[in-house]
Amino acid sequence: MPHDATLLDEREAAARAAAAATGPGRSPEASAHDARDRHDDLRSLEAGLDRLQTSPERAQSAWRRFTTSVLPPILFVVALIAAWQLYVVIAQPRPDIVPGPVDVFNAMLAGWESGRLQLAVLTSLERGVVGFLIAVVVGTPLGLLLAEVKPLRRAIGPIISGLQVLPSVAWVPAAILWFGLTDATVYFVVLMGAVPSIVNGLIAGVEQVPPQLRRVGTVLGANRTRLATLVVLPAALPGYVAGLKQGWAFSWRSLMAAEIIAVGGTIGFGLGSMLQQSRELADIGGVLATVLVILFIGILIELVFFAPLERRMLRRRGLLLGGTR
Amino acid sequence: MSGQTAIRIDRLGKRFGAGPLVLDDVNLSIETGEFVCLLGASGCGKSTLLNLIAGLDAPTTGSIDVPAEGAAVMFQESALMPWLTARQNVELALRLRGVPRAARRGEALELLDVVNLADASEKRPHELSGGMRQRVALARALAQDRPVLLMDEPFAALDAITRDLLHEELERVWRRTGRTIVFVTHNVREAARLGQRVVLLSSRPGRVAGEWRIAETTGRRIESPEVAALSIEITEQLRKEIRRNAA
Repeated sequence: MPHDATLLDEREAAARAAAAATGPGRSPEASAHDARDRHDDLRSLEAGLDRLQTSPERAQSAWRRFTTSVLPPILFVVALIAAWQLYVVIAQPRPDIVPGPVDVFNAMLAGWESGRLQLAVLTSLERGVVGFLIAVVVGTPLGLLLAEVKPLRRAIGPIISGLQVLPSVAWVPAAILWFGLTDATVYFVVLMGAVPSIVNGLIAGVEQVPPQLRRVGTVLGANRTRLATLVVLPAALPGYVAGLKQGWAFSWRSLMAAEIIAVGGTIGFGLGSMLQQSRELADIGGVLATVLVILFIGILIELVFFAPLERRMLRRRGLLLGGTR
Repeated sequence: MSGQTAIRIDRLGKRFGAGPLVLDDVNLSIETGEFVCLLGASGCGKSTLLNLIAGLDAPTTGSIDVPAEGAAVMFQESALMPWLTARQNVELALRLRGVPRAARRGEALELLDVVNLADASEKRPHELSGGMRQRVALARALAQDRPVLLMDEPFAALDAITRDLLHEELERVWRRTGRTIVFVTHNVREAARLGQRVVLLSSRPGRVAGEWRIAETTGRRIESPEVAALSIEITEQLRKEIRRNAA
């Protein structure tokens, strides 16, 4: 045996010697035994290489996650409020133009005690969520259709992209003329805001599916529908989720705009209406309190719904490296 | 070997649209259970030939006979579904083959054990090394249960140590399953190490330019002297073919 045998362990050397010794006259049992030996060697060799070439996943501790991703924004907000309070104390601006944090907090508290705040939050949230869900139900099949049927996409795609740029508030006057001051007006505006985002997200997701995954699907024997459901759709999920996220943002924005503009009739009392009412009363504390509530709800939905969904999906696909967020 | 013909390629020609001839008058017959390496420089139409055998493309002239069950294909990139675990990737092939749900899990684990990856069955592709991913792809190709396995430079992107090991793995799987394997490569040593027969294709257009049969295929290693000797012989012929393009 050449000198390289010294580099290998004893079992390997023995197996190689045995392999070298096997000639035309070997017995079948012996050669079967050799084969098994060689297979065991290969297994341990492969297991060793596999271990060397992969690194165990490091789980981030809860405390570390708290200090790296929860604490910094909280500290920043606290610092912001402190600076605001400091400004109010030092510069003493007119309280009816620049109220202090305490005034805004009191306005929020007053809204809560009168029950108007809860009513407005519930009304807006319900409309936002229902409108968004309708947009998902409308946008998903439309997006799939446009992604898979090329001529249709060439015809309708640019218009959908254009609609995404058009501020959906622009639809409010038309909607009021068509539907009057009813909930239908609000939902129409929300849909015009959210559907194009969802459709475009899905189309982008399908477009980014690596061609070799489709090819493998075909080689494995998938027909058109199974290719779509088992390969293309799951592969397009990241783009779809990004579209949903943007769709929600557009729903929420469009809703607020619609509620500010369209007041009265059978349209209920939402956060936008509350904002408008506070402005009419020249109540800057109430205006700022409402803005903060609207912002807070947007952040909350992102944090409790979209962020975990997105993180989970990206981590499963190895597109997110060790908890940078 | 049984001596039955698994793949018969007869006066095959292929051109794409009005472009130049990619394959010209290729004649090849491959026996059931044979391990054939298709070797050639860039532009010899190796991958085109493989796609034709796989039925992913249609020949311009001539004919190809393959078993009615078709062929499994393995590519240079593992092309595993990134959202599925190793086991689920194999199960997908079983599902598309029509294996009932209850039987899939056990069969997938068995196939992963064949490529020595039973412990990694619940890992996702991004958690696996390149070599491990290619072994999952091999298990997935075996899951298709087709008599012919077509491999398009499956180890080209791997490091030398891993590739060496996968040669052994593939040889073992071939002996164990009795598949007919057509292995495309541009690596002369790899062809001399793995094949029972090495078929050299010339470039532009691709034609069969030489054939070598290897009588004794057991106990070969990439560093074996007989592999080296054959590599020198094949390389000489290959260079002659490449030089013809200079004129």
